[in-house]
Amino acid sequence: MAAIGGRVRKSGIIRKIATYLAFCCLLFWVGFPVYYMLITSIMRAPDLGAKPPHWIPPEPTADNYREVLIGKAGEAGGYGSTTEFTRMMPALLNSTFVSVAVVLSNLLIGGMAAYAFSRFDFRLARAAYFGILMTRVLPALSLIVPLFVILRKLKLVNTLGALILTYTIFILPLTIWILREYFDTLARDIEEMALIDGATRWQAFRMVVAPLAVPGIIAVGVMSFMEAWSEFFFALTLTNSLTYPPLLMSFRNLHQVNWNALAAATVIGVIPPVVIAFVFQRYLVRGLSEGAVKG
Amino acid sequence: MASPQLGKAAAKQRRHWDRKWIPYALLAPALITIFVIILSPLATTIYYSFSNIDLIRDRTTFVGLDNYVELFGSRLFWKAVEVNLKFAAIVVTVPTLIGLFFALLLVENFTGRSIGRTLLILPWALPWIVVGLLWNWVVNAQFGALNGLLYSLGLIEKYIPFMADEDLALIFTALASAWRQTSFSAILLLAALQTIPEDLYDAAKVDGAGMRARFRFITFAWLRPTLTIVLLYNVVLGFLQFDAVWIMTQGGPGDATMLISVLLYRYTFINFDLGMGAAVSNVLGLITMGVGLIFVRLIYRSQATYA
Repeated sequence: MAAIGGRVRKSGIIRKIATYLAFCCLLFWVGFPVYYMLITSIMRAPDLGAKPPHWIPPEPTADNYREVLIGKAGEAGGYGSTTEFTRMMPALLNSTFVSVAVVLSNLLIGGMAAYAFSRFDFRLARAAYFGILMTRVLPALSLIVPLFVILRKLKLVNTLGALILTYTIFILPLTIWILREYFDTLARDIEEMALIDGATRWQAFRMVVAPLAVPGIIAVGVMSFMEAWSEFFFALTLTNSLTYPPLLMSFRNLHQVNWNALAAATVIGVIPPVVIAFVFQRYLVRGLSEGAVKG
Repeated sequence: MASPQLGKAAAKQRRHWDRKWIPYALLAPALITIFVIILSPLATTIYYSFSNIDLIRDRTTFVGLDNYVELFGSRLFWKAVEVNLKFAAIVVTVPTLIGLFFALLLVENFTGRSIGRTLLILPWALPWIVVGLLWNWVVNAQFGALNGLLYSLGLIEKYIPFMADEDLALIFTALASAWRQTSFSAILLLAALQTIPEDLYDAAKVDGAGMRARFRFITFAWLRPTLTIVLLYNVVLGFLQFDAVWIMTQGGPGDATMLISVLLYRYTFINFDLGMGAAVSNVLGLITMGVGLIFVRLIYRSQATYA
């Protein structure tokens, strides 16, 4: 990243101190809630809620994780534990499957549409583009009842297919928007030249356009993964908690919540999106800002 | 698009022919699925909002504007509007201000900057439902982190049931949403900050501009388009948030955190009054579409200047 050396040159000691104070604010703002969940997940139930609170777990345990992953706790368990937790692993697998499928179908459908908008002048192009972008601000919540009826007719209710379909469509506007930007950055002339040299459109796309759009494709892929992994409302209403987020909600609603196991379940379920976000950090930031602000 | 030494007229011919149907074929999957999954439910919702739907006898009767009249006349709706406006006020201001603060911090050169940048992504990577849970742990009355912290610092004698208080419940649910949205805002603002050419600052310094002037006329001016977009995103979130609030309070205590989206859920899934639910949907949709229109217009404008 570009060094901002020039601006720090004047750096008095005060500026240094202010910077590190601000940095501590950031650490606290992000870290405090996350840290507390992490330590809860490795604490024994009786240690949670001690006064004064334990900021470092006195007797760290893996029991909570064990309970979530294999449905059986150690000696400290049994408190509010439930068979609900046995649904955890299947839900995580479902979430993974749905997310990967959404990434692929979204890139395919969205990529095709973005390419059409970027490379062709056709009637209604502007209206269609505008219309597609507008669907992004529709409250998904408000479509649920008719959507449920339609999906029931398609025999998709309570299937992963319903989720793959809806997530793909709802992320499409963003995908089309970002990919179009990337396709647009490549001058048409270069592609024309490939065509004149006898390449088919597909070849021209694959060898000339697509390589330049790779950062955009990664960014879009990551974002659609995150969205699919995180989606709660449709998974709650269109399926019987097949994926991770609504299942988490149903743990929360149990009469006697085992908060420590819930924390462990939460931690396990956020590992995939967090790891992906960190690994693809650079693409993500670029994609986010291009998707939101545009050049 | 003057193509030099084009020998093959046939190829050109073929391309012209291509152009007619290829874009439609490429768009077809997107348009068809958007039509089935978004537009037709949208049309149905609009129709529902003018109907009374009897689920038991499976009968739908057209009732004109009755649902809207009932909605606008109900105390519950205006309560939801009031709650939602307060909620949105926090969700718009807090992430924008703190996000700007973090972005300005993370563009500075200091040890720990890359840790800070990575950490900044973390809240954004968490699902809303997890954000709600996380904040449940923060505000819980028996073992909450905030109670623990205040107690450890000797500021309180006994734990406070934050979420039993109507005002605090609203503030904390809004803060939970603001927490994740702050990361999103900061990421966008930071990306924009990084594109400011260094020479601008140097030139301004040569011209004798002080730190305040440099911030106002360079940093802030450069950030303005991004700030606008960030604000719009935050407004939309302020009206569309559901997940995080639902898992934290389900609208309670009483109706203290009953956002319009929560009211919509209550009508549709608890009262099974689909007509009223649809009416609420459309009101909510109009609000966000209004914001969205501004949004898309701004994008078109920036595209026009770009092209």
